Amino acid sequence: MKLTVNGETHEHTGNGTIDALLEELGANKAHTALMVNGNVIASEDWKNTALNENDEVEMLVFVGGG
Amino acid sequence: MSDTLKIGDQELGSRLFLGTGKFSSTQAMIEAVKASGTELVTVALRRFNRAQAEDDLYGPLAELKTVRLMPNTSGAMNAKEAIRAAMLGRELSKSPFVKLEIHPNPHHLLPDPIETYEAAIELVKQDFLVLPYIPADPVLAKRLEDIGCAAVMPLGAAIGTGKGLSTADMIKIIVCDANVPVVVDAGLRAPSEAACAMEMGCDAVLVNSAIAAAENPAAMGGAFKTGVEAGRAARLAGLMPTSEVAVASSPLTSFLSNDD
Repeated sequence: MKLTVNGETHEHTGNGTIDALLEELGANKAHTALMVNGNVIASEDWKNTALNENDEVEMLVFVGGG
Repeated sequence: MSDTLKIGDQELGSRLFLGTGKFSSTQAMIEAVKASGTELVTVALRRFNRAQAEDDLYGPLAELKTVRLMPNTSGAMNAKEAIRAAMLGRELSKSPFVKLEIHPNPHHLLPDPIETYEAAIELVKQDFLVLPYIPADPVLAKRLEDIGCAAVMPLGAAIGTGKGLSTADMIKIIVCDANVPVVVDAGLRAPSEAACAMEMGCDAVLVNSAIAAAENPAAMGGAFKTGVEAGRAARLAGLMPTSEVAVASSPLTSFLSNDD
């Protein structure tokens, strides 16, 4: 499934859930916030949220900031 | 005597908030946070990059049990983006605090008051404790208080400039009128300026560059802790009134020149 993840094209080969995408990309789920097509998806919904072809996914982490 | 700072329904034992940007390493930041005694630190959101996993601060900050997170909305160019950033920050931090900052011009990084106001209305509705970073404008500060912001954070000077309390006169007016905590955010360079802000009646200060860019960040974190505490203690003690003419502190009896 073709997705755009953090602005770059990504071919997802898992089962199409957000959980599967995060595992595929090696992200620490407890440290990640996520949006799909501009909508914030709560972590408790990741297991059951199905991604669709051409979805735009933003994966974010906390970094230093003032 | 207990002197906790109350922001909304949250209580904080320290009146020094710390930003976590610009440090040379995560370790240097953690040491400065510990030395400062802060209980509230800001963090920013950035795209996940597996090659830069060491920049992820969630783990190191989660180990500091006395420190709460205040995600910022840095990078937002308008109210819509700031609201989205705030939602993401809360989802990750589980913290009610948000530092609302919208500064679309990278040249001066001054806050956009109109977008900030619009975003604050929505974030208050969404039950955030909204701490907006604002120009030192008493009218705007009051309007943000009126719509339910938990505190207001006027700038002392532009972000990262180290020009201190260049807006002191306006901040004094904000303090005089405010019924919510006033936090000086941005511009401070020296602990004496933090003390001065507290003596003026500010409730807290938020410091990042002054500590992160110091030669010894941990030592500077400790110095700001002392400055904030001294300024707060002085405010509570009550500063003496000023006078246009000298007022002697020793008796001026004339026995030394008595020729009789």
